[in-house]
Amino acid sequence: MEQTRNQPSAGKFWSWFFPVGRQVGGWAFALNRLTALGLTLYLFIHLTALGLLAKGPDGYDNFLALTENPVIKLGEWAVVAAVFLHGFNGIRILLTSFGVGVTRQRQLFYGFMVVAVLVILIFTLRMYRVY
Amino acid sequence: MSQSTSSYVSAPRPGETSWIWLVKIITGPLLILVLILHMIVNHFVGSLPTGLMTYNDIVHYYQNPIIPAIEILFLITVVTHSLIGLRGIILDMNPSRPVLRVVTWFLSLLGVFAVGYGIWLVLTIASKGG
Repeated sequence: MEQTRNQPSAGKFWSWFFPVGRQVGGWAFALNRLTALGLTLYLFIHLTALGLLAKGPDGYDNFLALTENPVIKLGEWAVVAAVFLHGFNGIRILLTSFGVGVTRQRQLFYGFMVVAVLVILIFTLRMYRVY
Repeated sequence: MSQSTSSYVSAPRPGETSWIWLVKIITGPLLILVLILHMIVNHFVGSLPTGLMTYNDIVHYYQNPIIPAIEILFLITVVTHSLIGLRGIILDMNPSRPVLRVVTWFLSLLGVFAVGYGIWLVLTIASKGG
């Protein structure tokens, strides 16, 4: 059977995580899937943690105090950053899925990433109460 | 090097039906809308200095029936989007058909369980007030 270039394989799977030497599309793809894995993990941790709400005020309000723990806070920052990177990259994918900007994907990607970084910066300053 | 335009655009992966792909594509923008609401509510509406909601804030907030409805919509959307995406990543490992079937079943059950648990949790919180 003739193998076409886009056939998936286990070896290629791992290479998607290391887009060094690839074109910018490869980086966009790796960024999208790394943030996807992180956000999926977070989703299930989040759903489990919110289960504390069923147990009443004490458990949940004590749990909230954890948000001031520097390590947890850094984790939350990572979630926020992943949300914006994945979300803005996702808008580009949505646009191209419906034929918009297909030949301008590189520019779209750079543009959306600049916006994402700016928004992340604003969130960082807010989270760490710089202003 | 010539490549057809279709290889540049987002499209179903091999083993992913067009319907599954379409659901992933449609739930994406829906998530953006609900996430904006989620972020505003959880970081500006609460009574803690950080804007976070305490237990009492949340129970009070859930007394408006539109809120549990939005939260359940959000839950279904995010769980569906994340698990279809996870399946897509697993598809790139080129699993055999039997393995893929197990993966699909496992992720489907996980999704149903997560949504069921989430709905139970939303209704439990809503029932604490009033």
